[in-house]
Amino acid sequence: MHMADALLAPAVAATMYVASGTAAVISVKELKKDDNADKLPTMAVASALVFAGQMINYTIPGTGSSGHMCGGMLLSALLGPHAGFLSMIVVLTIQCLFFADGGLMALGANIWNMAFYGCFVGYYLFWRPIMRSRLMDKSGDRNTRRFAIALASILGCIVTLQMGAFSVVLETTISGITELPFTAFCALMQPIHLAIGLVEGLITSAVLLYVYEARPKMLMDVELTPAEKGSRRSLGGVIVTIALLAVLTGGVLSHFASESPDGLEWALFGNEEAGYSANMGLNEEHYGVSSSAADTASGIQEKTSFLPDYAFKDSDSAAGTTVSGLAGSLMVAAAAAAICVAGHFFRRKTGEGHGTA
Amino acid sequence: MITFENVSFSYGSAEKPVLSNISFYIGRGESVGLIGANGAGKSTVMKLLLGLLKGTGRIVVDGKEVQADTLSYVRKKLGFVLQNSDDQMFMPTVLEDMMFGPLNYGADRKTAEEAADRTLERLGLMYLKNRHNHRLSEGEKRMAAIATVLAMEPEGLLMDEPTASLDPFNRRIVIDTINAQPQTKIITSHDLDMICDTCPRVILLSRGSVEADGPADEILRDRALLERCHLELPIRYQFR
Amino acid sequence: MNKIEQSISELYEIDDLAAGNSMIHRRSALAKLAVTVLYIILVMSFHKYDLPGLVPMVFYPVILFQLSGIPVSLCFKKLRYVLPVVCAVGIVNPFLDRSPVLYLGGVPVTGGMISFLTLLLKGIFCLQASFLLISTTRIEEICAALRKIRVPSMLVTLLLLTYRYVTLMAQEVLVMTQAYSLRAPGQKGIHYSAWGSFLGQLLIRSRDRAQQLYSAMLLRGYRGEFPHAQRAAGGFPDMAYTLVWTAFLLFLRFVDLSTLAGGLLI
Repeated sequence: MHMADALLAPAVAATMYVASGTAAVISVKELKKDDNADKLPTMAVASALVFAGQMINYTIPGTGSSGHMCGGMLLSALLGPHAGFLSMIVVLTIQCLFFADGGLMALGANIWNMAFYGCFVGYYLFWRPIMRSRLMDKSGDRNTRRFAIALASILGCIVTLQMGAFSVVLETTISGITELPFTAFCALMQPIHLAIGLVEGLITSAVLLYVYEARPKMLMDVELTPAEKGSRRSLGGVIVTIALLAVLTGGVLSHFASESPDGLEWALFGNEEAGYSANMGLNEEHYGVSSSAADTASGIQEKTSFLPDYAFKDSDSAAGTTVSGLAGSLMVAAAAAAICVAGHFFRRKTGEGHGTA
Repeated sequence: MITFENVSFSYGSAEKPVLSNISFYIGRGESVGLIGANGAGKSTVMKLLLGLLKGTGRIVVDGKEVQADTLSYVRKKLGFVLQNSDDQMFMPTVLEDMMFGPLNYGADRKTAEEAADRTLERLGLMYLKNRHNHRLSEGEKRMAAIATVLAMEPEGLLMDEPTASLDPFNRRIVIDTINAQPQTKIITSHDLDMICDTCPRVILLSRGSVEADGPADEILRDRALLERCHLELPIRYQFR
Repeated sequence: MNKIEQSISELYEIDDLAAGNSMIHRRSALAKLAVTVLYIILVMSFHKYDLPGLVPMVFYPVILFQLSGIPVSLCFKKLRYVLPVVCAVGIVNPFLDRSPVLYLGGVPVTGGMISFLTLLLKGIFCLQASFLLISTTRIEEICAALRKIRVPSMLVTLLLLTYRYVTLMAQEVLVMTQAYSLRAPGQKGIHYSAWGSFLGQLLIRSRDRAQQLYSAMLLRGYRGEFPHAQRAAGGFPDMAYTLVWTAFLLFLRFVDLSTLAGGLLI
C-alpha cells in the first residue's frame, strides 16, 4: 500500500502532509503531557521491531501464500494511539528513505493511509471500547477475554486497511494519474485489501494474544483501575455504538451519493455555493481534497497554487504532445547518456570517486 | 568513595529479598571485583549504587547519599558500562554517542567533541570516531562502549561483565584498558581470571549477602568457598 | 539471500555510500533536502501527457550521479519496490485512453501510452532523487536538518534511536527465522501455530532491552531532551548549490527544452 511520488499531484501530497503533520504534532503534544520519559526508548525499540517483523513471511494455512504484519494496530495496542502513530511514522520514514518503499513527497499520504487509520481509528473505535467492555472482566471466562483481543485486532485491521485502501484510491484518482474510473478502481482495491486485512488481523491477534498471556501489563487498557472497571459496558453496548457510528457515516455518505451523479463529488469538493471550493483555491475541474485538515491546508495550497494549475492544464487533451517534442526528448536522453559516459571517462582518468556509473 | 550501610532490597514486599544487609566500603582509587553466581545480587548492587533501584539502608557516593535529588551528582561521578554494548550505545555514530553524556551535563558541542577526541586518542580508537555503531565488530563495540563512558570523565567506573563474549585478543585489550584507568573501579564478572588481572580486592556475594570480602589472592584461591557459592577456581589456580 | 539479509545489506550499502566525500557529500543536508524536495515537487507537477516536458528533468539525477560518484546500478535495484505499484496503477491507461495523439510513420501513438510512459518516468525520477539524497547524506545530518526546519525533537530523536536499532532487530529476527527453518525444513514461512510466539517473544524481550537502554540514557544525564547535532550553518557553497539548482530546475520545468531541441531537427 506504499504509494510512490509519481501517483500523486503536488497539491494532494501537500494536503496529506499537512493532515499527517497535524496529527503528528497533536500526538507529540499529548505524549509530552504524559511525561513518561521512558516511553521514547520503548517506542524506538517497538518500531525497529515492527520494521523487522514486517520482513517475516507468515505462511497462510491451506493457500501456500504468505502474509505480513501491518503494525499500526499492533503498536497502538502496545503503546497507545499517539506513541503508536509516531512509531509508525518513523517506520514509514525509514522504509521510504532507505528502501525506496513509498516516495518522499508521498510520505504524508502514506502516513495517513497506513499509520493514522491503524493507530487512531483502530484504537479509539475498536481496541479501547472492546478492552473496556465486560468481555475483558477478570471474573469472566479466560476464553472470552482471548476472544475479545482477537476480535479487536481482526476487526481493527480489516476496517483500517479498508479505509487505507479507499484513501489510496481517492488520492490517486484526485491526482488525475490513472484512467481507471473511480468505481472500478475501488472494486479492484477494496476486496484485495479485505483479504490482506484479514490475514494481518490474524497475525496481529496471534501476537497480542501471546503478549496477553505472557505479560498482560504490556497491553493498553487491559489492566484497568478500579474506577474504570466499574464503568465496563457490555459488548452489546460497544457494538451498538460502533454500529451507530457506521450507520451514521454510511448514511451521510450515501446521502451525498444519492444526489447522483455528483453526490460523491459534492462530498469531495464541497458546495460551490457555500464558497467551500473557492476557499480551497480550486474549482471543480481542478480537483482538490476535503479532509479534516483541508482548511489548514488551504493557506499553503494558495501559496503553491501555481503548481496544481500546471498539473491540470488542458486536463482533457494530450494536445501538448507533438512529434518534435518526442524527437527532442530523445535528444535530451542522448545528452544525458553523454554526461554519464563523460563522467565515467573523467573519473577513470583522475582515479577519483569510488563507483562505476 | 563508596559506602554501603545495611542495604537491603526486594522487588515487592511479599517477595524474598534480593539483597539483605549488605555493607562495605570502597576507597578512592581501589579496584574491586564483585563476584557471585547468577542471581546472587551483583547487578542489583550496581543498580542501587546508581539510583536505578531504591532499597533500604544507606548508600553514600563521594560524601553524598544516593537519593532522588543527588542522582545527577552520583551519575556524573560514576560511569557505568553495561554488559550489552548495544544497549549502551543508542546514537547512530560513535562520536555522537560519546558526546551525548557531556552535552547532557551542559558542555557545548566543541568541548564535548574535544572530550571525545581526548578519550579516543588516549585509547587509540581514533579510527572509530565517525563509524556507525551498528557496523562495529563485537570487540570494537565493547571498546567504544567503554569510551562513551570515559568521555564523561567519571571518578568511578562500574563495569558489568566487560569481557563477556570477547575473543582472547579483544579480552586482553579490554583488560589492559581497564588497568590503564586510574579511577575507582567496581567490576562484576564470572571471568575470574580477568578479575585476578584487574582487581586486588574481591567482594563475593552469595544469595543476597556478602560471603567474603578481602584480597583477591586469598578468596580466589579458596576452592571450597568458591564452590560453595557455585563458582570455580580461576583457570590459573586450578592445576597447582 | 533472504529478505531480511537483503535489507540489512542494503542498509549497510547506503551507510557506506553516505560516508563518501565527494563535493555533493560535503554540501549541507538542509541544502540537499531543499533541492530534492523541489525537484520531486516539480516532477510531480508535470501534466500526465507532458512527456517531452518531463524528459529534460533527467539532467538532475544524471549530473548528481556523476558528481557524487554513486553507482547508478544500485539505484535501479530499488526500483523493484516502486515500479510494480506504479505499473499496477498506470498499466490500464494505454487500454482505456486510446485516442491517438499523433502518428509516427503511420503507427498511432495514443494518449494512454504517453501518460503511462510519463508515469513511469516520474516514478523513476522521484526515486532517484530521494536515493541520491540518502546516499550522499548521513542520517544524523538529515536529522539535524529536520530539527532546523522545526520537526518536533521527539520525532527526530525517535528516528535516530529507531535507525540505531533497526539492523539490530533485523539481525535478531534473522537468527530466529534461521533457527526456525533449521527445525522446520521445507516450510516457506512461519507456520500459523507459531505466529504469536515468534514475534511475541521478541516483543517481550525488546521491552526489556528498551528498559536497559533507558537506564543507559539516564546514567548519562538524559532528562527528556536530546542534545541534537548543530552543524555549522550552510556557508557560501551550500547557498550556491541551492540557488544554482533551483534556477536550473525551474528553467527545466518552465522551458520546454525537448520541443525546442526537436524544433531544430524537424
